[in-house]
Amino acid sequence: MEPILRIDNLCKSFGGIVVADHIDLTISAGEILGLIGPNGAGKTSLFNLISGVVPQDAGKIQLQGRDIAGMSLHNRARAGVARTWQHMRLFRTMTVLENLMMGPRDYPGESLLGSVLGLGRVRRAETAAHAQAMGILERMGLAQTAETIVVDLPFGQQKLIGLARALMNDGRLLLLDEPMAGVEGSNYETMQRVVHDEAAAGRAVCVVEHNVGFIKDLCTTAVFMAQGKILQRGTVDELTRSRELTELYFGTAEDAA
Amino acid sequence: MEYLAGTIILIALFVILASSYNLIIGYGGLNTVAHPIFFALGAYTSALLGIHAGLPMAVCILAGIAVAVLVSVLLAVTTLRISGDYLLIASLGFQLGLLQLINNMEFTGGPAGLSAVPNTFVGQGRGTIYVVICTLAAIAVVWAIWRTMNGPFGRAVRAMRDDELACAALGRGLISIKILIFAMGCGAAGLAGGLYAYYFQYISPEQFQVAQSAQILTMVVLGGIGTTMGPIVGALVLVALPQAINFLQLPNSLVGTVQGLIFTTLVILFLFLRPGGLVGHTGSQSSHGAAH
Ligand SMILES: Nc1ncnc2c1ncn2[C@@H]1O[C@H](COP(=O)(O)OP(=O)(O)O)[C@@H](O)[C@H]1O
Ligand SMILES: [Mg+2]
Repeated sequence: MEPILRIDNLCKSFGGIVVADHIDLTISAGEILGLIGPNGAGKTSLFNLISGVVPQDAGKIQLQGRDIAGMSLHNRARAGVARTWQHMRLFRTMTVLENLMMGPRDYPGESLLGSVLGLGRVRRAETAAHAQAMGILERMGLAQTAETIVVDLPFGQQKLIGLARALMNDGRLLLLDEPMAGVEGSNYETMQRVVHDEAAAGRAVCVVEHNVGFIKDLCTTAVFMAQGKILQRGTVDELTRSRELTELYFGTAEDAA
Repeated sequence: MEYLAGTIILIALFVILASSYNLIIGYGGLNTVAHPIFFALGAYTSALLGIHAGLPMAVCILAGIAVAVLVSVLLAVTTLRISGDYLLIASLGFQLGLLQLINNMEFTGGPAGLSAVPNTFVGQGRGTIYVVICTLAAIAVVWAIWRTMNGPFGRAVRAMRDDELACAALGRGLISIKILIFAMGCGAAGLAGGLYAYYFQYISPEQFQVAQSAQILTMVVLGGIGTTMGPIVGALVLVALPQAINFLQLPNSLVGTVQGLIFTTLVILFLFLRPGGLVGHTGSQSSHGAAH
């Protein structure tokens, strides 16, 4: 399989807290990799390092063979890093459709002149983005919510919109931070289906999840992370069977659930 | 007649100033107090070119806009990269410093200002011609801002205001968006300055004091921050009101006091009764109503 993301020796600490401790990780096209580990393990921080929210202390990050470690947050998105957020971070005053239409990698409407004069290239990009957004919403059965202010939707649908907005970025890497948390019923099934379809279409997907059940539904392989270190990589079944990890994490997690 | 023309022209110019200030602080969320100095840059550039180079009025005013845009980009590029808060401090320093410079330079006429701005139109119709020009300019500026805010650029600006991090993580370059907003707003202030210089034919540093940003801000807040119509209504009320008070023929010693009282009362009343401004939604903090 074609490797999409390749991380070598990635290190990061905030003051005394080590969130990435010599991390090596490769994610390939078509793969859905689960990232599990206790609270504070550094899962979200790893996403922040990959997408460029925070700079790394050391190490290499390559996207499809291209070094992106020195690039800014917005340039990494343009290079093809799409992500969602644990706390969604939707644009709260905007409609669902407007939220999605902020997502394309190429956004010629960022030029003032094009926006004022409605130049051809901007108009074409807008039309294409609109069609793409409606297509994604239809796949999720949410087309009828297009004109709704996004925060007026139920929580589960907002989570789906978070994914939909990320999917507007047609890059090859998709990072999902706790996409299933608080999502139930048909929304849960939709989330699962869409994530599977995206991987099947050739994206490399990495999913942070707290609940092992979700990881089992979504992922084929998983890595276990604690204190900024990747402790083990394997199938979800292998990881849940590991006595050491069960003691570290799963036992308590299942007690709590 | 000439008096009425003067009032309408002032209203039109303040519509330009208030709308562009609203673009910067209301839509862009960029805190600056330097709007009067960009007004001054437009006025001084076009006046000086008109006086010394004898170029046509349109060319001089365009040059005034260009200088305002250029300087605003320099200010934004150097400060916004550091942080948004830095812009506020830098804009204050820039406003005070540059005005002080104008006050002390010989070629700007120092405190006495410039009074020999060439007269482009002579005769009876002069006031009317300027009323038409300034009104058209105001309409063009308001239209351009409205178009911007309702197109893909404006959508990016609103997204940025809702959540900067999420917006940047979708690939939007926030710094360049902010610089463009700032440049557009300051360019409009430069346009107002050029028109001001040509109509009144007299400019001096005291017309561009930092306190003027408070006056323009009052127009924006009173009318409705973050709306298209708000700054227009605000400029109309705050320019027309003092003129109306003049008509009351109060003794000179009272005029200042009465004006101060009325403005202060208005602002305080609005803060409590209509925090969204005259055209904004009642009760909403910074209305996005007109932006949808
Ligand atoms: N920007 C930051 N500054 C300081 N500390 C941070 C920052 N981001 C995360 N941390 C800390 O790093 C640790 C890992 O956090 P996080 O990556 O969010 O964990 P997880 O997502 O695995 O629950 C936590 O102790 C958190 O407080
Ligand atoms: Mg997390």
